Amino acid sequence: MKSLRAWMLRLFGVLGSSRSERDLSAEIDSHLQLHIDDNIRAGMTPEEARRRAIIALGGIECTNEAVRVRRTLPLIDSLVRDVRYGIRTLIKSPGFAIAGVIILGLGIGVNSAIFTVVNAVVLRPLPFPDADRIMRVWHTPPPKQFAFPTFSLSPANFADWDEQNEVFERMAIYRYGRRALTGSGEPAAVQVGRASADFLPILGVNPVIGRIFTRAEDREGAPLTAVLSEPFFKSRFGGDQSIIGKTIVIDRVPHIVIGVVPNTVALGSRVEVWVPLAWTAKERATRANHNYSGIAKLKPGISVERAQADMTAIAKRLEAQYPDDNKEWGVLIRPLQDDIIMQARNSLVVLLGAVALVLLIACANLANLMLVRTHGRAREIAVRGALGASRLRVVQQLLTEGMVLGIGGGAAGLAAAYFGVDALKAAFGNALPRANEVTVNSEVLIFTAIISIATGLLAAFVPAWQLTGRDANDALKTGPARGNSSGGDGRLRSLLVVSEVALALMLLIGAGLLLRSLSGLRAVDPGFDAHHVLTATIDIPDAKYPTPQQRNQFFDRVLQNTRALPGVESAAFVESVPLQGGSTQYIAPEGLPPMKDSDLPVVAVRLSSPGYFKTLRIPVIAGRDLSETDGLNRPRVVVVSEGTAKKFWPNQNPIGKHVTLTMMTKEPSEVVGVVREVQLGSLDATAEQTETAVYVPAAEFGYGGTTLVLRTAGDPTLLTKAMVGAVQRVDPEQPVLDIQTLDEIVEQSLGQRPLAMLLLAAFALLALVLATVGIYSVLAYTVRQRVREIGIRLALGAPVEGLLGMIVVEGLKPTLIGIVIGLGLAAALVRVMATLLFGVSQHDPGTFSGVALIMIVVGVVATLIPAYRATRVDPIVTLRAE
Amino acid sequence: MTNFEKNAVWQGTLSLMVLRTLLTMGEQHGYGIARRIEQTSQGRLSINYGTLYPALLKLEQEGLISSEWGLSDNNRKAKFYKLTKAGRKQIERDTRQWEETAAIMMRFLAGEE
Repeated sequence: MKSLRAWMLRLFGVLGSSRSERDLSAEIDSHLQLHIDDNIRAGMTPEEARRRAIIALGGIECTNEAVRVRRTLPLIDSLVRDVRYGIRTLIKSPGFAIAGVIILGLGIGVNSAIFTVVNAVVLRPLPFPDADRIMRVWHTPPPKQFAFPTFSLSPANFADWDEQNEVFERMAIYRYGRRALTGSGEPAAVQVGRASADFLPILGVNPVIGRIFTRAEDREGAPLTAVLSEPFFKSRFGGDQSIIGKTIVIDRVPHIVIGVVPNTVALGSRVEVWVPLAWTAKERATRANHNYSGIAKLKPGISVERAQADMTAIAKRLEAQYPDDNKEWGVLIRPLQDDIIMQARNSLVVLLGAVALVLLIACANLANLMLVRTHGRAREIAVRGALGASRLRVVQQLLTEGMVLGIGGGAAGLAAAYFGVDALKAAFGNALPRANEVTVNSEVLIFTAIISIATGLLAAFVPAWQLTGRDANDALKTGPARGNSSGGDGRLRSLLVVSEVALALMLLIGAGLLLRSLSGLRAVDPGFDAHHVLTATIDIPDAKYPTPQQRNQFFDRVLQNTRALPGVESAAFVESVPLQGGSTQYIAPEGLPPMKDSDLPVVAVRLSSPGYFKTLRIPVIAGRDLSETDGLNRPRVVVVSEGTAKKFWPNQNPIGKHVTLTMMTKEPSEVVGVVREVQLGSLDATAEQTETAVYVPAAEFGYGGTTLVLRTAGDPTLLTKAMVGAVQRVDPEQPVLDIQTLDEIVEQSLGQRPLAMLLLAAFALLALVLATVGIYSVLAYTVRQRVREIGIRLALGAPVEGLLGMIVVEGLKPTLIGIVIGLGLAAALVRVMATLLFGVSQHDPGTFSGVALIMIVVGVVATLIPAYRATRVDPIVTLRAE
Repeated sequence: MTNFEKNAVWQGTLSLMVLRTLLTMGEQHGYGIARRIEQTSQGRLSINYGTLYPALLKLEQEGLISSEWGLSDNNRKAKFYKLTKAGRKQIERDTRQWEETAAIMMRFLAGEE
């Protein structure tokens, strides 16, 4: 305790005060005076008395110093002095200081910005109570039939899991959808989360007003309730609490508003209204239809592995119990955080690695700058050494200077990051999970401070280390002007160039591979023409259109209206457009022996209207398109894709064959046409992953939800208003949702790839510029050092071209070594990017050799300029300087 | 004569001497404390008076003594030190510790013979 107090006082003492200094000298004066008085009383002369008193004290200055040391902390004291000195010397050479701060600012800025994103998305636990116990629950489908590793849940299986498991505190099931909100003001499309009663409690969401629905309210027949999200409550109802207890109408069904909850994060953050599932008995008993998502909260002390084992056992039991529906349907438990960030994690890790490389290059650049500068100051440092400054003191001072530069660069970087993060968030868009949590916070500040200081110190360490090996005498004799750059010094500089080149090369290769993947992806023929197509989803409520006839009639009229719009070439409906997911079902083709439904092949099923193939320009290869004559109470027909035809009836004519859509009807449908295959799932799907399809006349079933697609003559977005008008001329209250072009949908399906590529390319470019500056400045310096030698050679008649060649070749050596090392490192590290690549080998020779070539060209250009300048040396001038 | 100045034991020992001196003499200035220590050791302890001042500063930083400017017997301005409550307690602790250490050392040294 008392030593802490003393330490604090000494720490404050560092700040220094002239008062305590005056106090000290007054006390020493008084001490001497008292002693002198005594001595005089003992009979000494005043001079003798004073002399003796000073001797007894042990010297005035020594005493002062001893007290001063005790008053402050010497190390910190000299640190403060070094920092002041460092700032002063940096101000005196503003060119160097500004260059250093810019280089570091760039390096640190990109790191802080990317770290801000990685920290919020990957590192920070989800902002829930007991976030580590919240799991995502998936079905795993039979691998033979399905190309996906995970699948949505069916209500009956979920109910059994919930009832039989012993590892979860509770489980919840939910799904999202766009619904029409009417009755209160303008009709609007709202994002509705239908969830079981435990969903919000598992996420730790507490109502800010009112309450959330209970299990009793999540039952068929219970009065329907709704919980509003806070942002929606504010934007739609102006935050007026009197809405509680009132009724809102969702899809024409009234719901009583019972509470308001804060916006959830991570899951359902876009949901505006939460309503209970309130399954009917029939819905609850559905086992073979998988349409829901699930979460669960582990009991305390239960591990993920234990939960997985327990749930797998239950799934196996259910498989035995319901072999028809559940054969090979397993279960997967995954921590919610992992589940949410899975897609983004990979690109973020790659980007974090990329910016770390950029920072290393910036650091090497700064180290080189400092090395050159220390060289210029060799005499100053040598003089200080000769005057007794310990080498450690000089090193400490250099390191301090590096630290000051680092902090300057850090401040610049932080400012850059602050704006960069917003740009990043905007650029990622929906592809970034947890985007609303991404902000520059204290963790980012600490990260930035640490990398700034570490980078500054690391950069300063190079010249400092160099210095410790040098003889002060040499430096005093030769001075800075002719400091010899041979030996260790030159090697050190070459090493910096080697590492800069190697690092920049790795980044360029990464960017190059992504560029090739992306252009490969964009070049994939999706099987349809995505240009000039406008899409929108329309869900009509059963409450208003209770019969299939009424629903068909509605959609027919919409088609009539939209087809009549000027600028519309064709219009059609399809259940879901390619690359946006959709229904996958068990199909029974003609020719297979009778078997259980769950053993049947699985294909994508798309309910569509006539004209869909024409609108998306999907070629009909054989037979006919769906037609207006197909529909309710007409012979059942389907059009199959090439792949489906080949899978079901290899080497046979599929036209006239029959399939049964087992999940929708027992009646077989006749195949009337074959169309080309379309990439339904994703552009990077391999041949085995590609889902083959069956197209069914939507009118046969008369469902209420579908997607409108319009092929337009010009820019499809110009028709947005006209399209909405065409729909609302049929029903003015009908919302038209998710309006976007098919091109946009294709672009979205690329995920983070375009952005990752753009960022990586930007970082690689930055690295290339930094490395070029590095090569140039090192060589320029070396040439300057060798001016005398070059002058002599020229004077002795060496040909200019030969000299030029010699300098370029020597200058290129470290660049070439760097390229070789960089190629090796890139080949080893490229594995981290594997999931981002498409259609290009990890070790694509084209990319590797192309990038190496770019690096060589850059190296030649960067060496040519100083080399050329060297040959302009006037030998007379150089020699006269002797 | 013992030259304690470079001795590691010195700091702690000198602190205790200063505290004891202040306990017997009450308020005292640096010069007076130095003279008193010299007298008490009967000239067997030769110290530079200057070494006293860092020790006084340390004790003050630790809150064991406090200081105030005043006038000496012969009307000279001087900085006077006096014990604080914590300082008195510290004397008890240090004295006990010192006696124990000395006793143990004596036993060792006696056994060596």
